[in-house]
Amino acid sequence: MKEIDTKKLINFSINGTPAQAKEGWTVLDTARNMGIHIPTLCHHEAVEPSGACRLCVVEARDGAWSKVVVSCMYPPYEGVEILTDSERVKNVRRWVLEMLLAQCPASREIKALAAEYGVKSTRFRIKNPEEQCMLCGLCVRVCAEVVGVQAISLGSRGVLKHVSTPYMVPNRACIACGSCVTVCPTGAMQARLDKVRGDVSQRTGHGFAH
Amino acid sequence: MKNNANKHAATGGENREKIGVFLCECGRKIAPKIDLKLLEKILSNDQIISHVMTLPYSCELPGIEKIREIVQDKHIGRVVVAGCEPRIILPKLERELEGFGIEKGRIDVVNIRGYVASVNQGDPSQLASKSAKLISSSAAYLDALIPSPKTRIEFKGPVMILGGGMATYSAAQELVRQKIETIIAVYTEDTEDVIRMLHESYPGKWDSHERLRAIINEVNESPYIKQITVGKLEKVRGVMGHYVVTFASEKDKPPLSYEVGAIIAALDGEMHNQGTDFGHDGKRVLCHTEMDEHIWLHGAPGHRVVFWINDLETERPYANLSARTAWNMAIYIREHNVFSRVSILYNNKIKILLSSAEQIMSRELGIEWIPYDGTIRPTVQDGFITYNDQEDQIEKELGWEQLVLSPLRHPGVEQLKVAQILGLHTDGSKFLERNPQMVRPEQVGLDRKFIAGSACEPCDLKETLRQGRRAAHKITELIGLANEGRLFAPSMVCTVDQGKCTGCGLCREICDCGGIAPVDGPGGNTPRVVDPMSCTGGGTCAAACPYHALSLQNNTTAQREARVAALARRLDENEVMGYGCNWGGVAAADHAGLRGMHYNSRFYLMPVGCIGQLDLSVMGRAFLEGANGLLLIGCPPEECHHSYGLDHAWSRVLLIKKMLDLIGIERERIALAHADLNKPDQYIKTVNSFVGIIDKMGPIKRNEMMEAKINDVYDTLNNSRVRWVLGASLRRPWETTYPSDQRSALAYDETLFDVLMEEFLRIRIINLLKKQPGVQQLQDISCSLGEERQQILSCLKDLTEEGIISRIFKDRIPYYSIRQE
Repeated sequence: MKEIDTKKLINFSINGTPAQAKEGWTVLDTARNMGIHIPTLCHHEAVEPSGACRLCVVEARDGAWSKVVVSCMYPPYEGVEILTDSERVKNVRRWVLEMLLAQCPASREIKALAAEYGVKSTRFRIKNPEEQCMLCGLCVRVCAEVVGVQAISLGSRGVLKHVSTPYMVPNRACIACGSCVTVCPTGAMQARLDKVRGDVSQRTGHGFAH
Repeated sequence: MKNNANKHAATGGENREKIGVFLCECGRKIAPKIDLKLLEKILSNDQIISHVMTLPYSCELPGIEKIREIVQDKHIGRVVVAGCEPRIILPKLERELEGFGIEKGRIDVVNIRGYVASVNQGDPSQLASKSAKLISSSAAYLDALIPSPKTRIEFKGPVMILGGGMATYSAAQELVRQKIETIIAVYTEDTEDVIRMLHESYPGKWDSHERLRAIINEVNESPYIKQITVGKLEKVRGVMGHYVVTFASEKDKPPLSYEVGAIIAALDGEMHNQGTDFGHDGKRVLCHTEMDEHIWLHGAPGHRVVFWINDLETERPYANLSARTAWNMAIYIREHNVFSRVSILYNNKIKILLSSAEQIMSRELGIEWIPYDGTIRPTVQDGFITYNDQEDQIEKELGWEQLVLSPLRHPGVEQLKVAQILGLHTDGSKFLERNPQMVRPEQVGLDRKFIAGSACEPCDLKETLRQGRRAAHKITELIGLANEGRLFAPSMVCTVDQGKCTGCGLCREICDCGGIAPVDGPGGNTPRVVDPMSCTGGGTCAAACPYHALSLQNNTTAQREARVAALARRLDENEVMGYGCNWGGVAAADHAGLRGMHYNSRFYLMPVGCIGQLDLSVMGRAFLEGANGLLLIGCPPEECHHSYGLDHAWSRVLLIKKMLDLIGIERERIALAHADLNKPDQYIKTVNSFVGIIDKMGPIKRNEMMEAKINDVYDTLNNSRVRWVLGASLRRPWETTYPSDQRSALAYDETLFDVLMEEFLRIRIINLLKKQPGVQQLQDISCSLGEERQQILSCLKDLTEEGIISRIFKDRIPYYSIRQE
């Protein structure tokens, strides 16, 4: 854990409201603390942020300069103006959602979220209409950081990337706790869990539990 | 009176620590659905909660900083966070609050998002009152906590490697390189003898001999090594960090004892020949070990050798290993004798794993690999073996001058004995393979006992040496941590109150974590001790202990009783409570919450680490405090992550059913169910169905008589004799199925019921006499209890003889009263 100077306050603004953050807080932390809603998918409080889904984008303005940044990882600095719902932000979110709709068209959660932003269809190529996974890697992070084992990982790179166990066979490191299912933002892990944990009854019992 | 001394009441006292409750809004997920203001108000009326506060997100940095601030300002010692899944968020909260006086075990998370907000429909005020009940029960659970200090592990003495397997040397090499003092117990100190005997356990590994020789030499030359040649291992006492290992010695000499800090067992499995099966005669038809010896003595043969990988025919799953050995020997024979011809015959169901380089080598050496169709079993004839060609289905014959069969592998009788002494449950001819642990790394100090070698599971020499190195590496790590003073046992492990322990050994029989060991002492029955580094915190052993001598640190039965009691007192008549295990019921409920599936809002779920943790007294306490139904939801059968918690809970539930029946309450009021975390819909069906069952029956008709009876039931459940007899029916780790094929089921059940009736009557009489001080006649007792005089008279006689009740005669009529201490 980083040393945090709790006395030092950073003054900035979110949507025009003055905001105060302590060192170590991100824009998302501060906004949530003020009751301002920013949509997230790959963010989970129990693990370090990774900025994978890009849905939590906000606009950071400093004078004439402006940039769209991911709020889950962006540390605010003195005087910056954050806009969580500007037209530019909404536009980026719509793009993100459209891409997500192409990546995981079967996910109920993604569809509902897209509908909130008025995104009903996607112009990108749908590779697999049955796909639910958006490859945010939250399950992988929870498995390593919260559970403390590394049963699943993101395999391959680029368009071939997928969540799986090594060699795509049930993994003995998996303790079948289901934490990956519990945090999955798109409901994709439910179908994958059995391939990760295998037949648990074959691993417990007959002599030794561990 | 032993039984009453064990009454698990919530503790409390003047120096009780303050409890703070933090409610999460969780964005839009909790706040609008549950009326948090009302919830705050309800909770602030709770006596044991001293501070309530609502935070937007307790788990994010701003929230955590706020909690730290409040904890320090208001001197709060225990924290309840009402938010989301404890399985996910608790580790973070524990980590972030650890430096602020909130150690592990002093913090509890109630999933009001997953159990109330997203699964129950109702107006926010109703959901607030439901949440309040769950939070209050959690606060009661924390209130009853008696914190245990952290157990620091220190290593007193060197590392001992025993068992005499080949892994001895690789483990010792790793340890001496790290400058750790090591004692190795070997059968011979001569390096060449060791190498010569290799063919017994690892045939065909000539390529590794040089390496092994180098390892042994390095070990022997190290100043950190001490070699001992000893007799059989006799006993091992102590726990991780300080063991006393005793070996047998020759006649008239005292046994040799060593004090060591850690133990590695290097156990090599044995190989046997096929006996007379498959034409084995030890001369022309051999097994691998005999062939290795033959080559050792006579050199590579110059005739036709056929290796038949016949593991599938003998129903053994180690065909690949045999194929590797055959391949090693085939190379050796071909390379050392140009006149030889070698074929390897194998069942086409076996997948032969040869790398492409090895395939080229095989072609160059002219080693034939012949797959056959295993549906027809090859026949051994003199000089020929007939097999069915998989390509054209023609019976073909293969000539041989030496036929080599696969060996029969066995963990070894001596090796099993050593394993048993080390506290492992062994089973006949089963290998010692330790299944990967199925709990989080933080829940157990050691993920496995340090065992290496082919007695764990058949493997080749390379793998054995690797296992030895890995065990040594892990020990080195632990010793490093211990030397820095940073090695602690997990916070929730079992401890034994040695004053209460009678050494009955029930816990060791039913728990298979291998952490329960006897303590040496005078007398026959020796009390037990728990190795905190081996215990996984399952707690079924604690729940089974007839004398309540075992308890789970920081997670005691008293705490769970406090939780059920607090909840049961607050429940309305039509509400039902349940316990879910972290791996089954709770995980499934979390999943249902995540998916927003709706189900009956009159069901209250409490979490427990393993369903086997629930003591009989916890179940009894629920009914005592006013519950009308109790549902226990565990893991799917055979999937308990600890030691058969589900099976043990099953036996306990059956006993409660009998007790309920005895006092005229419907047996269906307690039920055991199981849930797969990935099937939330099934979990919902279970819950809805159970609530329906309870609805049909309506609340228990309670009056003074009934209350007294339930209280007597509760006392009976804490009775050591009842618990002992129940212990006999708990599934043992070596039993493959339970409970459908138990032997003499009826006879056992009748015995159990007789014991129950007897102890129940005794307790009723005692409680009656306690409640009404002064003397009573037999007739009065019989009248108040509504039982026959004859039964009561014999019970009173026993009680009088035992000195629990005193009897005085007035006008030749006996009067009874409780004996005052």
